[in-house]
Amino acid sequence: MKQLMKKRQMKNYLDLVPVSALVHRRQSRLTRFCIALSVFLISCIFSMADMQIRTLYTQTIQTDGAMHAMFRDLTDDQAAVIMARPDVTLASRYETLNYDVSPDYTVEEKPTVICGFDESMLELYPAAQIVEGRFPADPSQAVATESIRKQLGRKIGDSIVLKTPDGPLTFTLCGFTGDTSLLTDRDAFGLFINTDAYRQYFSHTEGTSSSELFVQFSPFCRIQRVIRDICLQLDIDESTVGQNTRLLALMLQTDDYYILQLYLIAAVLASLVSVAGILMISSSMNSNVARRVEFFGMLRCLGAAPGQIVRFVRREALNWCRTAVPLGLFFSVVTVWGLCAALRALTPSYFTGMPVLAVSLPGILLGGITGIITVLFAVRSPSRRASRVSPLTAISGNAGTVPAVRQSAYTRRLPIEAALGLHHAAGSKKNLLFMSGSFAFSIILFLSFSVISDFMRHAIRPLRPYTPDLSIISQEGSGLIPASLEEEIASHPAVKRVYGRCFAYQLPAASKDGEIVIDLISYEEHQFHWAQNALLEGSLEDAVQGVGVLAEYVPSSNISAGDVLTIRTEQGTYQIPVAGILSDTPFTKQADLTNVICSQELFSRLTGENRYTILDIQLRPGVEDQDVEELRTMTGGAFTFSDQRLENGETRTIFYSFSVFVYGYLAVIAMIAVLNVVNGIAMSVSARMKEYGSMRAIGMSPGQLTRMIAAETAAYVGGGVLTGCIAGLLLNYYLYRLSITSRWGTPWTPPFIFLALILGFVLLAAVFAVIGPARQFRRMSVTDTLNIS
Amino acid sequence: MELLRTQHLSKIYGSGDACVEALKDVSFSLQKGEFAAVIGESGSGKSTLLNCIGGLDTPTSGKVLLDGLDLFSLDENKRTIFRRQNIGFIFQAFHLIPELDVEQNILFPLLLDYRRPDPHRLNELLDILGLSERRHHLPGQLSGGQQQRVAIGRALIAKPLLVLADEPTGNLDSKNSRDVMDLLLKASRHYQQTILMITHNTALTSSVDRVLKVSDGVLTDLGGVRV
Repeated sequence: MKQLMKKRQMKNYLDLVPVSALVHRRQSRLTRFCIALSVFLISCIFSMADMQIRTLYTQTIQTDGAMHAMFRDLTDDQAAVIMARPDVTLASRYETLNYDVSPDYTVEEKPTVICGFDESMLELYPAAQIVEGRFPADPSQAVATESIRKQLGRKIGDSIVLKTPDGPLTFTLCGFTGDTSLLTDRDAFGLFINTDAYRQYFSHTEGTSSSELFVQFSPFCRIQRVIRDICLQLDIDESTVGQNTRLLALMLQTDDYYILQLYLIAAVLASLVSVAGILMISSSMNSNVARRVEFFGMLRCLGAAPGQIVRFVRREALNWCRTAVPLGLFFSVVTVWGLCAALRALTPSYFTGMPVLAVSLPGILLGGITGIITVLFAVRSPSRRASRVSPLTAISGNAGTVPAVRQSAYTRRLPIEAALGLHHAAGSKKNLLFMSGSFAFSIILFLSFSVISDFMRHAIRPLRPYTPDLSIISQEGSGLIPASLEEEIASHPAVKRVYGRCFAYQLPAASKDGEIVIDLISYEEHQFHWAQNALLEGSLEDAVQGVGVLAEYVPSSNISAGDVLTIRTEQGTYQIPVAGILSDTPFTKQADLTNVICSQELFSRLTGENRYTILDIQLRPGVEDQDVEELRTMTGGAFTFSDQRLENGETRTIFYSFSVFVYGYLAVIAMIAVLNVVNGIAMSVSARMKEYGSMRAIGMSPGQLTRMIAAETAAYVGGGVLTGCIAGLLLNYYLYRLSITSRWGTPWTPPFIFLALILGFVLLAAVFAVIGPARQFRRMSVTDTLNIS
Repeated sequence: MELLRTQHLSKIYGSGDACVEALKDVSFSLQKGEFAAVIGESGSGKSTLLNCIGGLDTPTSGKVLLDGLDLFSLDENKRTIFRRQNIGFIFQAFHLIPELDVEQNILFPLLLDYRRPDPHRLNELLDILGLSERRHHLPGQLSGGQQQRVAIGRALIAKPLLVLADEPTGNLDSKNSRDVMDLLLKASRHYQQTILMITHNTALTSSVDRVLKVSDGVLTDLGGVRV
């Protein structure tokens, strides 16, 4: 301090601020920490939200394209009018043929989808980007999908023959584009030609789609209004205009009712985060300034006017902000960098475009501005209180550094330390409200944000353990898949596991309720193993052994484990006991049809069939396209070879990126909850140090002091947990209904896991919160504490 | 009968240039029932001596023997328990617990020991202190003199071997100062209570048994009236 005084000549009473901060280093450190924590919370959550929107935006452009609207059945004149509008930044005509992958249009016997569009489409749909070559310049040229190069060994300049019902068409390959999941799933080729070529060859062909115009608008216009305007101007039925809802939602440019509900949820969550930050700062400021009322009284005594005290306290607060706000912002930026790095590490192919050191300007601005404004607002009340302190009461030592006591502690039945601890907590209703409220808010925040996790699981179906990478599907007329093919494929080194299923559709059967219709499906050991998690009642044992079946739960059916099903097949009538009921299967659930699962052996006995309908393949990590081509060759041309790796990759990417953010939010909130509890208790202890010094002098042991703090903490945490759980669950219920039940119909269930998690964190924090002061008490010098105070 | 003995007590704060020797080889003893006053200039080391004797501060060297027991041979926890059972403290700034009423504040040392208070003893003390009417008042509702009387009651309730009073009248006006001194004298005479009191008001020393003077950390026995 001496150094500070030496270095700086005090010219103004406000120069006392840094000197005072130095003397009250510990208290001001706690306050600064609290401000930094709040700024971190707000900035981090908003930065993460910003990053999440950016990530989803990039993904959506990859999967759904960068176009905003699609107009159908336009005349060329109408299309020209739209394309000429100043608010349209990009547009492309688009037509497609054989979208349902029929064998009428083939290249080398493989179904082929034909698309005709303008070159600007490549910008509107980056997934169709030409990886080699260029866009077709004239009607004789075509761009082919990657699979044509790989499977047929074609290269640029080669000619390719497209067989059509009207005769063959020959194109010269001028480029290659990436495969889409739609094409690889259906084992089909794709050919892209320009719009003029398409019109020349297919404009009068049956089955061709009508001409569509994909449009991208300026992000600065009100897109919904522009679409309405166009429809009105060109007399187009607005309901026929398709919209890229996901992309528009991410741009806050949609009228979709459900998306508007999601905006409402985002607004609720954003407000909760801001209120949590504001509460934390307010309680800390209140406690800090209230503790030094005596000091302000002394300043008043020395002649400081009330206005000067207000300015002093405000300057002090801004002084804290000078270090605390940048600190909070810095840590939020570092956290976001960590998240971006995690995303890049998880799915490098998708997020290479994401900057390593991404900075969210909105997040930083929101965190910084909210922090400073909250500090200035929060300091108003205590600074006024400080300015109103009578000089007389201040110097008499009765100004009170802790809230005035109105009622004595209840010591009749409780041990003295517990009675005092509880009284400290409950003595000041305002203090109890602030502390418990602040803890409760952490719980409310956590439970509210946990809804996003459920939302994610509904909106993005994560890959199930049984999800295959490749499927070999029998086609009508080509017969079923022999077991020998399964063995052959299983022997390939790239294959991790192969599992086949036989299907017998729409078999008549009877249960205790009467006649029913079933789809009989066979499982092998892997599929039975995966079904374990879906088992509602009974056991898998008998089904695996081939002496029973599993039935999927259907609300309209009363089948339960132990019932006997009478199944009628071409082989005869069989009485089979139901071994168990499954809540879910990978197959479509239909109201009037029951999916019944049995072993392969039983299936063969019931139907006489031992060949597969579908053979699913899971691949080992790091498998090359070459391996997949080998597997394709093994199957021959008789079956459909569906490659789902691209689609799985897309799902996995979206799920992972969403998970990183959702669990990132929850981790940040849990961390804030812990730090908030620890810091809150530390501030409360720090405010009463003088009193604790007295108690120690009179004979209270450090252990008793610790138990007193534990009782006080228990009161705050108890109040916070009770309020937080009730309000948090109510909000969780409300947000769940709004975002999930309204869309998918899933009824709300209490989030037990998240509840247990946050309660665990808070209780852990409470233990930590007591350990700190306990150490402090053991080291406490009674005389120093009394002298300093 | 000797109750308190200090042997070669010294206390040094800081080191090097900032080294301050607050107590220099202080040795003295107090008999049971004796009422002694320690006088000295501000900063002479009076409070340091009292804090060391009370076990609130640790001397750099030397011993404090209370009833034959070396205070600093006990660990912190045992010393705390010994302190609250055998030493009563009266501070200039009272140091009452604001959340406890008069009765609870007086009983505080017993409550810390989880002992059942004797209601007769409490009533007797409240009568002597003149606080019977205010037994359920909180410290914030009392005058300075009344608060100091509560602190005296708290120091006496556990029937300690020794009462240490650090400037007990320092925050009080002359009438309240007289009242507090009368109470301490009554405790000394009535209960044979051993009391060591710090004061810089020499007028208060006229009624005590013995006067000790601390000057620059050195203790001098000025003798007394009744020794």
